[in-house]
Amino acid sequence: METFAQSIVSGLLTGSLYAMIGVGLTVIFGVMRIINMAHGDMVMLGMYGAFLSVTFLKIDPFLSIIIWIPVAFLIGVFIYRFLLKNIVPAGELNTLLYTAGLSLFIANLVLLVATGDYRTIKLKYAIMPLRPFGISVPIPLAIAFGMAILITVALYWFLVRTDTGRAIRATSQEPEAAALMGVNVDRTAIITFALGTALACAAGALLAPSLYLYPTVGEILVAKCFVIVVLGGLGSVPGAIAGGLLLGVVESLGAVYVSVPYKDGIGLVIFLLVLLFRPSGLFGVGKS
Amino acid sequence: MKKSIIPLAILLLLAAPRIVSAPFFIHLMIMVLMWTVLGASWNILGGFTGQVSFGHSTFLGAGAYTTMILFLKLGIAPWYGIPVGGLVAALIALPIGSICFRLRGPYFALSTLAVAEIIRLVALNWESLTNGPVGLLITTLPDVTFWGRSVDWENKVPFYYIIAVIALAALAATYMMSRTRLGAYSLAIREDIDSAEAIGINTVQTRVTALSLSAFFAGVAGGFYAMYFHYIDPDAVFSIALSVEMVFIAVVGGLTTVAGPLIGAIVLVTFGETFRQIFLVGHLIFYGLMMMIVIRYLPDGIWGRLRLWFRTQLS
Repeated sequence: METFAQSIVSGLLTGSLYAMIGVGLTVIFGVMRIINMAHGDMVMLGMYGAFLSVTFLKIDPFLSIIIWIPVAFLIGVFIYRFLLKNIVPAGELNTLLYTAGLSLFIANLVLLVATGDYRTIKLKYAIMPLRPFGISVPIPLAIAFGMAILITVALYWFLVRTDTGRAIRATSQEPEAAALMGVNVDRTAIITFALGTALACAAGALLAPSLYLYPTVGEILVAKCFVIVVLGGLGSVPGAIAGGLLLGVVESLGAVYVSVPYKDGIGLVIFLLVLLFRPSGLFGVGKS
Repeated sequence: MKKSIIPLAILLLLAAPRIVSAPFFIHLMIMVLMWTVLGASWNILGGFTGQVSFGHSTFLGAGAYTTMILFLKLGIAPWYGIPVGGLVAALIALPIGSICFRLRGPYFALSTLAVAEIIRLVALNWESLTNGPVGLLITTLPDVTFWGRSVDWENKVPFYYIIAVIALAALAATYMMSRTRLGAYSLAIREDIDSAEAIGINTVQTRVTALSLSAFFAGVAGGFYAMYFHYIDPDAVFSIALSVEMVFIAVVGGLTTVAGPLIGAIVLVTFGETFRQIFLVGHLIFYGLMMMIVIRYLPDGIWGRLRLWFRTQLS
């Protein structure tokens, strides 16, 4: 029973960060129909951002997201405005290939600058895990979990309550109708892409103290992202949150009850099954 | 004019190791030709039927492991193992195709990525067959005599000729594809799958056949990979990166063209391998950059654009 509770808790902790990454990917898909293969690399950039803050600026990685969120937002604006904007009308497959190229470019650029060495971030206050009710909770993951929830709630409020948020949701539902209602679709697309990038980057910075950093980590993360958004239904924000938490729990339960080596495979098998039999996601809210 | 270029190119291809014999050059040529086969393989599916696969390393890996296991466990020499590896890859493509082709466009691409990752995990954990993450190693290749002379496997030249023959076969298959009913059906599917279905083309069967043919060549290239490098492990031959590189070579060279994969391989591999010699890491940076440029400015790929240019100049 204790093992079960333990794996549920660690699953939810990681899942909250998966959810954050997934939300970024899913809003981008919803508004622009871009399957962003470079999304995992944005997470990777966030991880290296946190690493830089700790090593050179001596700033706590969790505080450093105050710097990296605006930086990532600007990177997102730049990528969309100067690179992706002209590709989007060429169709989903072309953007898929284009962002795959972008992903390889970013990952290899970081590989050249930072080399392929595995790096870790060590925090002084994070040596011993917390032990509430006999369940071990690593401190970095607990902080990341709290901040991920804060950020996701803030984003949700933004999407539901503000005009820009409404514009994003409207464009996601029906771009042409949104344009006719006076939504500036172009501006909405830039904001959405930048927002998605900032979310991925922030999630990366929050994850950095709990994972190994290396330049091609995005490859694995992007596969997970797709599992998450397809589970929840492509384009659906609540779906991505649920999908992220679900994948986190499934992975940690799988590692305990099925097998550690096949832990990553379980998510992929579920992914294929959902794609084949419930293409609009487990909750039937996405669009296929 | 075109008729005289092809025999000339083949002659040049076969004479190349006699003209320049520096080992790095020969290694480079071998890599270019191996990637030509892989690009051509991807082109048969992706170029003709328009189905973007991000999981072609599955077939490369299947071919590589078949060749290796046949040699290490049953003592079957790799030159028999390589075609068998191709056949095994083609067989594996049948169930994968019939599952993944239920999905369209980007969803197909994502599903192939997932299948490839699952197969990599299986290869990593099925230790009795694949030796797991440790990988499989050949120490020496069996002796063989060719036209009365014993072949020196320490030298790279014999490998060059083997891969040159495979590459010619792959390009010939692409040419045949553009001439046969299978190719015409595939193009119809690429243009509009619903219309193709409506005029009576069996789209599932056509796509599965194209995938199988494509997988055969990826498997053959995989067998060659195992034999040339003497060593394989799941992360080397089943990696996402390999699948992505195949896509890039085919797209950058020019889809649906015969020479496209060769041109793509010459441009990308030459630069990549030279880059690797100097900086050791990050040689794929150029692949990413070229992909972005090609998608943005040369939608028909480098060869597609060059061919157009030649035609307008000559006419």
